[in-house]
Amino acid sequence: MLLVSAAGASSSVSAQRPSQSRQLDEMRAALDGRSMPRSSSLGPHEFYFTRAVYGGRGRSWGRGSWAVDFPKADRQFVFGLRRLTGIDASESENPVLLTDPELFRFPFLYALEVGYMSMSEEEVAALKRYLLAGGFLFIDDFWGTWEWRNFEYEISRVLPDYRIVDLPLEHPVFHTFYDIDQILQVPSVGIVRGGPTWEQDGYVPYVRGIFDDAGRLLVIINWNTDLGDAWEWVDNPYYPIKFSNFAYQMAVNTILYAMSH
Amino acid sequence: MSPAVESLFSLLFKYKPFVFEKGRLLLSPSWPAVLVAVVLIVAAVPAIRRYADVGGKASSRDRKLLAALRVAVVGLAVLCLLRPSLVVATAVPQQNFIGVLIDDSRSMRIADLEGRSRSAQLDEWLNDESPLLAALRERFKLRLFSFAAGSARVKGFGELSFSGHRTNLARALDRARQELSSVPLSGLVLITDGADNAETGLSEAINALRDATIPVFAVGVGSEEFSRDIEVVRVETPREVLRGSSVGADVVIRQRGFDGETVQLFVEDDGRILSTIDVGLPRAGESTVVRTRFLAEEAGPRLLTFRIPAAEGEMVQRNNELQALVTVSDEQARILYFEGEPRHEVAFIRRALHKDQNIALAVLVRSAENKFQSLIVDPDERFGGEQELFGGFPRTREQLYRYSGIILGSVEAEFFTADQLRMLSDFVSQRGGGLLTLGGRYSFARGGYAGTPVADVLPVVLPAASDPAQFAEVSITPTLFGRSHPAVQLADTLEESQQRWETLPPLLTLNPISRTKPGAATLLEGRSESLSDPQVVLAYQRYGAGKSIALTVADTWQWQMHYEIPLEDQTHEMLWQQLLRWLVSDVPGQVRAHLGLDRFAVGETVQLSAEVFDDTYLAVNNARVVATITDPTGAVRQLALQWDVEVDGRYRGTFAATNEGYHRVDVEALRNGELLGQDSIIGEAAELTREFFGAEMNRPLLERVADETGGRFYTAATIDELPGDVAFADGGTTITEVLDLWDMPIIFLAFIALIGTEWSLRKLRRLA
Repeated sequence: MLLVSAAGASSSVSAQRPSQSRQLDEMRAALDGRSMPRSSSLGPHEFYFTRAVYGGRGRSWGRGSWAVDFPKADRQFVFGLRRLTGIDASESENPVLLTDPELFRFPFLYALEVGYMSMSEEEVAALKRYLLAGGFLFIDDFWGTWEWRNFEYEISRVLPDYRIVDLPLEHPVFHTFYDIDQILQVPSVGIVRGGPTWEQDGYVPYVRGIFDDAGRLLVIINWNTDLGDAWEWVDNPYYPIKFSNFAYQMAVNTILYAMSH
Repeated sequence: MSPAVESLFSLLFKYKPFVFEKGRLLLSPSWPAVLVAVVLIVAAVPAIRRYADVGGKASSRDRKLLAALRVAVVGLAVLCLLRPSLVVATAVPQQNFIGVLIDDSRSMRIADLEGRSRSAQLDEWLNDESPLLAALRERFKLRLFSFAAGSARVKGFGELSFSGHRTNLARALDRARQELSSVPLSGLVLITDGADNAETGLSEAINALRDATIPVFAVGVGSEEFSRDIEVVRVETPREVLRGSSVGADVVIRQRGFDGETVQLFVEDDGRILSTIDVGLPRAGESTVVRTRFLAEEAGPRLLTFRIPAAEGEMVQRNNELQALVTVSDEQARILYFEGEPRHEVAFIRRALHKDQNIALAVLVRSAENKFQSLIVDPDERFGGEQELFGGFPRTREQLYRYSGIILGSVEAEFFTADQLRMLSDFVSQRGGGLLTLGGRYSFARGGYAGTPVADVLPVVLPAASDPAQFAEVSITPTLFGRSHPAVQLADTLEESQQRWETLPPLLTLNPISRTKPGAATLLEGRSESLSDPQVVLAYQRYGAGKSIALTVADTWQWQMHYEIPLEDQTHEMLWQQLLRWLVSDVPGQVRAHLGLDRFAVGETVQLSAEVFDDTYLAVNNARVVATITDPTGAVRQLALQWDVEVDGRYRGTFAATNEGYHRVDVEALRNGELLGQDSIIGEAAELTREFFGAEMNRPLLERVADETGGRFYTAATIDELPGDVAFADGGTTITEVLDLWDMPIIFLAFIALIGTEWSLRKLRRLA
């Protein structure tokens, strides 16, 4: 039986949902130390902004590092995505465990704070299978050399045969919907208190990628930048709008690219 | 009328029914009519009075009956005195001609007459000393013709070789009629098995004979039913497919004497077996259609053989195999995929076709209102290069008709102008392209297509606009028809394919549609607990010159991504490659060349035709159309095709094959110096076996020819009657003969019966 609770609207699917949902919540609780709220308003949409729930060392308000900016950033981003494009996107956030078979229902996956990522073998295997089966991973919000090395190590466990490369500005992902001719460093919300745009030693933002043998982009890596905060704080009048604009543009382009390539 | 009944009729009525049909009845008394009436009265009145006066045990009823019998006897005698006669026209001896047309085709070599060949039977009838010819010569001057594909005068039976590769009865009848038009012709004697395999019908030839009052006396040669035979009757394949396509061929098989048996059908390419399938034979005389599937791997014209090995005791073995030419194209077919909203299906379909060298997908996605994303992988200058979809969805026929196929994703009908909707319909019906419509929230009825020209093209019946929700968990399996259809085959064998379908995970997005149009076929259907009827998932129909396919689901990508699908699994890729190859198979270009025959004999005249269209697929009548024919030796000749005034855009010509082997024909059409298009076809000159197909004696056809021209049909059992019948033919120079009927045995028997009955009744009533 397919685990389709996130998108389930049919009676047969709905009938399975309570037990599956409980099971997922228990798994999340084991991972995070507290249970996650599950939205009951998911419907039959083409696109779900799906957040990867992975194992890690970090904590965000008592939860794993995966949950940074959650759920406000997700909700605000999807609101913008629906307004700016014709994508039939679910309005709800959609966190899914890497080891959850349900993950394969959602070909687009968002993960952040991967500097603190520490995946189990099961998670590594699941993510590898997800990416090679056709999934797309969007990485965001990690900074500096130390976090890079952690992510590099983790992703090399997933895709040991593929290299990470810089994406030039000529790459279609920068021109799918908006023409992006400069990679901005998007700061965290700390900028409203006068903080710098960088964190740790991450002074220069990068957009990198991992391609498979057929040239398909499997992973896009936004390093030394925090797109999620820009979505989360777009409603804050003190957060500079140019960063939010860029964050939306980058994410919209990436999603449209992933849905067409 | 059966021969026994006909013999009895002839015995009782002196002449055969055929003579009565030809003549008219007449009373020609040698006595004056008044005298005959007087005799009737003089003879009848005493008889009636005598019975009226008689007493005894006779009742009134008996007396009336006896009187009636006596009057009947008298009446019959009077009828004889009135001299009933049959007036017929008979041929004047030695002043009329008879054309004898003898089948000289190879089917005459079939030995189906208790071990004797049909030609041996002809020898018996037609040798110089034969009684049949002698009887005909007594009254007529004979002109002998041999015929097969053509017809020729012969002096005697010895000139026949029974080597004709084709039988064309119409041509033979026309030729004889025309050649004998200047002489008094009593009729034609047509001696054949009736196994006509010409492309033309017989009606015109029959009408011409009837108008000229030339009866045909048809003699059927051969067995009407073979005792044991398997025949590959017909093979239907796509004419042109893309290289790497899984090709389906429908093979029609018929048998006699092998009821309930199973045989193997092989598909071979130059001796290499492409596929094998077990075939359960149908009941005797019935045809069954077997669908076989094979992979078109090698580019170029392929002469494929569909063969059933000869079984023991088969009467004709050469009809166990048929050839079909399939041109395997290594060119790239271009398909326009228009998606009205960003969907995962786009990425996954593109990936499925990533390695397919023969399909180029030009994708246009409406990413936001009035904003489009075009995805051109292989820019082609003929399509505008990088600017191919710069202007959005094509607005002119010239732009749209360049594509071989169109995929319409989730896009509402309102997006299109009325003219664009009409163009989409015409793309299928007029241009002959393939249209594939996908499920989605803006597709089918949900997209408002009901009542639009596109709805007419669709193979499905759109439900009411307020159709139920699009989301449902649907398990999908092939229908009985789909199981063997190459587009949805997921494995090498039918069983493995069926198994694969049964293990595929259900999909979740479907436009509920449960009805197809008449003439449409459903290949995949879906079942869902939330929907009562089986749902149409994949259906198609021919529409005009093209093909329309509906795929009502919108998330086939799950067959690639689902966690139960192994990474190395190629189901999704295979399905989409097959679907799109099927979509564009047999899509014609602006010039479509045809050979009258794919296979022909050396020296045979081959009909070549070409249909020529402009870039909006309107027929062009003022083109210069030239065919370049390359024979197997490499010799090249050019042939200008002439416009056929009866059909717009059609041009015709003929050529004769010079050597055995492939003849390549390249047709090019220009208008005002501008190239409209070109097409290449292949025909093969080879030994033909066509004569051995449908070779049983075709009695209904020969009876039709005879009946409609005023002649008669004969078999070996009745052929002796032919010379006598021909004498009564209407044609030629005739004299009128009056044949007496008063001495018919039936009249004598009637006398005896009437008098005997009267006498017996009188004895019974003790009146005598």
